[in-house]
Amino acid sequence: MLLEVRDLHVEFHTRDGVAKAVNGVSYGVDAGETLAVLGESGSGKSVTAQAVMGILDIPPGRITGGEVVFQGRDLLRLKEDERRRVRGAGMAMIFQDALSSLNPVLSVGDQLGEMFTVHRGMSRKDARAKAVELMDRVRIPAARERVKQYPHQFSGGMRQRIMIAMALALEPALIIADEPTTALDVTVQAQVMELLAELQREYRMGLILITHDLGVVADVADRIAVMYAGRIVESAPVHDIYKAPAHPYTRGLLESIPRLDQKGQELYAIKGLPPNLMSIPPGCAFHPRCPLARDVCRTDEPPLYEVSPTRGSACHFWRECMDD
Amino acid sequence: MPDGRHEPEQAIAGTGMGGTMDLGVDEAEALEKRPGGGGGPGPEGKPRSLWSDAWRDLRRNPVFIVFALVILFLVFISLWPSAITSGSPLTCDLSRAQEGSRSGHPFGFDGQGCDVYTRTVYGARTSVAVGVLATLGVAVLGSVLGALAGFFGGVGDSVLSRITDVFFAIPVVLGGLVLLSVITSNTVWPVIGFIVLLGWPQLSRIARGSVITAKQNDYVQAARALGASNSRLLLRHIAPNAVAPVIVVATIALGTYIALEATLSYLGVGLKPPSVSWGIDISAASPYIRNAPHALLWPSGALAITVLAFIMLGDAVRDALDPKLR
Amino acid sequence: MGRYVVRRLLQMIPVFIGATLLIFLMVNVMGDPIAGLCGERQCDPATAARLEQEFGLDEPVWQQYLTYMGNVFTGDFGTAFNGQEVTELMATAFPVTIRLTLIAILFEIVIGVTLGVVTGLRRGSPVDTGVLLLTLVVISVPTFVTGLLLQLLLGVKWGWIRPSVSSEAPFDELILPGLVLASVSLAYVTRLTRTSIAENRRSDYVRTAVAKGLPRHRVVVRHLLRNSLIPVVTFIGADIGFLMGGAIVTERIFNIHGVGYQLYQGILRQNTQTVVGFVTVLVLVFLVANLIVDLLYAVLDPRIRYA
Repeated sequence: MLLEVRDLHVEFHTRDGVAKAVNGVSYGVDAGETLAVLGESGSGKSVTAQAVMGILDIPPGRITGGEVVFQGRDLLRLKEDERRRVRGAGMAMIFQDALSSLNPVLSVGDQLGEMFTVHRGMSRKDARAKAVELMDRVRIPAARERVKQYPHQFSGGMRQRIMIAMALALEPALIIADEPTTALDVTVQAQVMELLAELQREYRMGLILITHDLGVVADVADRIAVMYAGRIVESAPVHDIYKAPAHPYTRGLLESIPRLDQKGQELYAIKGLPPNLMSIPPGCAFHPRCPLARDVCRTDEPPLYEVSPTRGSACHFWRECMDD
Repeated sequence: MPDGRHEPEQAIAGTGMGGTMDLGVDEAEALEKRPGGGGGPGPEGKPRSLWSDAWRDLRRNPVFIVFALVILFLVFISLWPSAITSGSPLTCDLSRAQEGSRSGHPFGFDGQGCDVYTRTVYGARTSVAVGVLATLGVAVLGSVLGALAGFFGGVGDSVLSRITDVFFAIPVVLGGLVLLSVITSNTVWPVIGFIVLLGWPQLSRIARGSVITAKQNDYVQAARALGASNSRLLLRHIAPNAVAPVIVVATIALGTYIALEATLSYLGVGLKPPSVSWGIDISAASPYIRNAPHALLWPSGALAITVLAFIMLGDAVRDALDPKLR
Repeated sequence: MGRYVVRRLLQMIPVFIGATLLIFLMVNVMGDPIAGLCGERQCDPATAARLEQEFGLDEPVWQQYLTYMGNVFTGDFGTAFNGQEVTELMATAFPVTIRLTLIAILFEIVIGVTLGVVTGLRRGSPVDTGVLLLTLVVISVPTFVTGLLLQLLLGVKWGWIRPSVSSEAPFDELILPGLVLASVSLAYVTRLTRTSIAENRRSDYVRTAVAKGLPRHRVVVRHLLRNSLIPVVTFIGADIGFLMGGAIVTERIFNIHGVGYQLYQGILRQNTQTVVGFVTVLVLVFLVANLIVDLLYAVLDPRIRYA
């Protein structure tokens, strides 16, 4: 395994109390594999990624338990300086909003070149040449001229390509993409996603794709991990999930996608709201919203049941769910 | 702001710079980044108004309580100075000039043999009167002009903007020296008038800005669409939402006006003897700084605490009204 | 950019005219411009009338203003009460005040920005609370009180410095007056930097910089500071005009013969030519400083482009 997250716990200490954002998440990614992490806002998918990356705001955040094993080393035990060297070189991250994630007062060439001057000790001139090369690689036209421009002078799609180029710069083994296409126009989304998938294949990188868009997932992901209230509720190869979800929450997510063959029918929506992370319901966190919920769900927290050797579901009634 | 400097807007009006805490952030997304940190009403909580929320915060803020008490005390002694001193600020005994502290005269005597304690107590009256009256004048004139300009826009707005530009270009102390040096009247009114004259542009800018912001709110647009008259829009819908920054800036300005009066009196163009003012006393004591530093220190301390109290109060109110800035 | 500068220069004209006219009116209408010309005594009516004619004071005020401004633009600022050319007074006074202002700005940059960065990065820490409280105290205590107290302590009690500055006003004697002059702005710079740093610290691009694996000092200096200082630089730029105009109090405390001193003398002696002349130059300095600040803004923040 390239990356293995084991039983990760993250809390946030705020004025109003302690929010349990991540409660025992485990997942893994192999080289060349794409893991899609799915879930609503507040499910803890981004917080997990930030903890893996080591960019969590501490405080208010705090990692209270677990391991993040990357290329055989537990990152959580590394000294900050060693940890820093892993960031960018070993693993890189692509953020959702490229406009705010790129520094507005530095040229894109400076921001790309910085990866080489800092991590590789290159001269500014060589780093600039590398930046142009990278921009070519992500197919930004007229890279040589545009390298001197600032982020606001690029279109949304082009900016996200620059983010991708920055993540690729040092050819990391793992890329974490946090909703990389959500902020883009629908027409551009597909292009950017295709580019990302293509580059991943080319470099045989592991990719963690954080998203709430099931449409994107079906095309590019190998495995899916569905998160709810800071926990993984279902984890399975992508085709299995689409065939028969083993958790009522996953089922709900799938049924809320509009489909052409169901035109005219009312769209399904999961009733209720995601739980408040300061007071997660006892038992199964999903029970207040679950159509299958019974007494046991209110008291007993479901473990991740083994549905098949490659598949797990944290539902007491996963069989029932799959049969429906 | 005794030099008539204008505070940077970020430091005074609480205008954020649109960083990460932008209001445009989807609430759910904000929750994702900072779980449980959402500042909105809780799921079961009733919607709370800005003012009751602010008042609840203020009552629990020790800084606010301390300085509010200081201000209450100042107002009290400026109304009834005889409650805590039996002497008169104008009874002086030259033979006791520059004497230090002794029983019955805890602050000692100044260069003219006047009791420093009595003069310091009576000095509060001048400062509070100038501060309160000048602030009232500035607030009324500035916010009315600013609100009208912001609401109606157009030529009047442009003209007002240019006029405020002109006033900003004149250093305040300098303007005070020029205007007040020729006035012989020995009341507080010329100083107050001068402060209102040079102070209103600052408030009108704030009022104009917040009216323009409030005007763009959806509910104001809705009320307009329903045919509300301009005066009704301005008074019932916009003013209540635009008044907060004006109050905050006015409270802080009150402190700076007190400082300005003292500065002008120190320079000899504000109030003049036999008026009693901390600025006059500090100016009179500065030649004897070697022999009788107490005559300088007591009125200076009183002045500093008074100005500090108003600025701290304004700061606390601002924090309470704008939790985003914490 | 060029067109923007031209437009801004054109916009400055009404403000310049307004401000100088206002001062001109204040001095002329409020005061008695010939009172200062006969020395300490009251002028006798005949002399007064002759002087009025000589200086064009019998003409309407707006005409006087036009004549005066016409002269100013040919470099003639008139004569001061002691018969010296106003331009001569300026030649001795402005270098002193400019030195004083330079020292004040230096204090603002070095101390203010440093304190602001330190507190902004450690928001909520004891250092932060302490500095924040200190800035409020500095803002609250009027400059003349700060000045007198520091003069008392450093000059009289401990004898570290000369309590008053000699007439050449060399740099080293201006250090304490410069600090006094800067004090209030210094506190504002600290608060402004702190707010700006604290706000930008949580921004997405800083998170990106951390995710890129940059060392902490590089994240702070190159990414955080570069963005956070934009409003600070503009504040300091705009402050130049205020500092020069606000030096009256500081110059009086330390007996510095700069612009403030000359203005104070001019006002006390009701010398119209001196007062209006100096104020005109100060207003110009203020306006030009503001223009430079606006242009600087575009250099610092590439998102702003003036058309």
